[in-house]
Amino acid sequence: VAGFRRGRHGTTAKFSADEAAVLRDLFGQLVGMLEESAPRSDLANPDPLAELTGMTDTSSTERSADPVLARLFPDAYNDDPTMSGEFRRYTESDLRAGKLAAANTVLDSLADLTAGGTLHLDAATSDQWLTALNDLRLTLGTRLEVTEDSYDELAADIDAAPDEPSTVALALFVWLGYLQETLVEAVG
Amino acid sequence: VTAPAEVERPDVDEIADVARVWVTIVWNDPINLMSYVALVFQRLFGYSKEKANTLMLQVHHEGRAVVSSGTREQMERDVTRLHAAGLWATLQQD
Repeated sequence: VAGFRRGRHGTTAKFSADEAAVLRDLFGQLVGMLEESAPRSDLANPDPLAELTGMTDTSSTERSADPVLARLFPDAYNDDPTMSGEFRRYTESDLRAGKLAAANTVLDSLADLTAGGTLHLDAATSDQWLTALNDLRLTLGTRLEVTEDSYDELAADIDAAPDEPSTVALALFVWLGYLQETLVEAVG
Repeated sequence: VTAPAEVERPDVDEIADVARVWVTIVWNDPINLMSYVALVFQRLFGYSKEKANTLMLQVHHEGRAVVSSGTREQMERDVTRLHAAGLWATLQQD
């Protein structure tokens, strides 16, 4: 696995058809989750005045009970739910829109890669990949409840139970981390 | 002759409160890559590679680091940008 490299105008990365299919599936799930997490007013029949002022009555002001959404949309103030709620009311829909835009940019760039091949990303698209890859790793890692020891555990799991779904998922998480590491290196 | 306009006396406590600096704190988490966190600090705050790395290591080893300070509005902006990058950040008065 080569991961990302610095290209002439940004970065390049080579993916097999299988790898591209896995990425499309995972980023597609990320987009679905982000869209479902939006309050109704954000997507269907947006109120233009509410959009303009950022004051949508149905905007959530509480941190999600889902640990993944709580991680992607964290509280801005520790121990101050009122201030966090206010902050969330004004910022969460933009935050969600940014994450959705990044994940959709990744899906767009993967659309032509059904047979595998080399991606050529410009600097702006590389940055969107960086953001979306990080959101995807936060999502998967939070679901898997990874810790800083998970990388060592994976090595043991691969020896002991290579076909267990949890081993496969952890291996995917580690692969995404490798991709992100090479992308950081390529854009840095 | 003129009489001085009546001025409401400013609340001293309020002034002291306003003058207190706000800070943005980044918290450690087991998922974000060290290299990515350092890159985000360089890009968002214009920090040198060395300073960004030092702050990243402080987050990693001590569990948290103050990454910027200023007015409350500035810190809310920084927290917003850090959340957009996927870092776990909060703001508070110093």
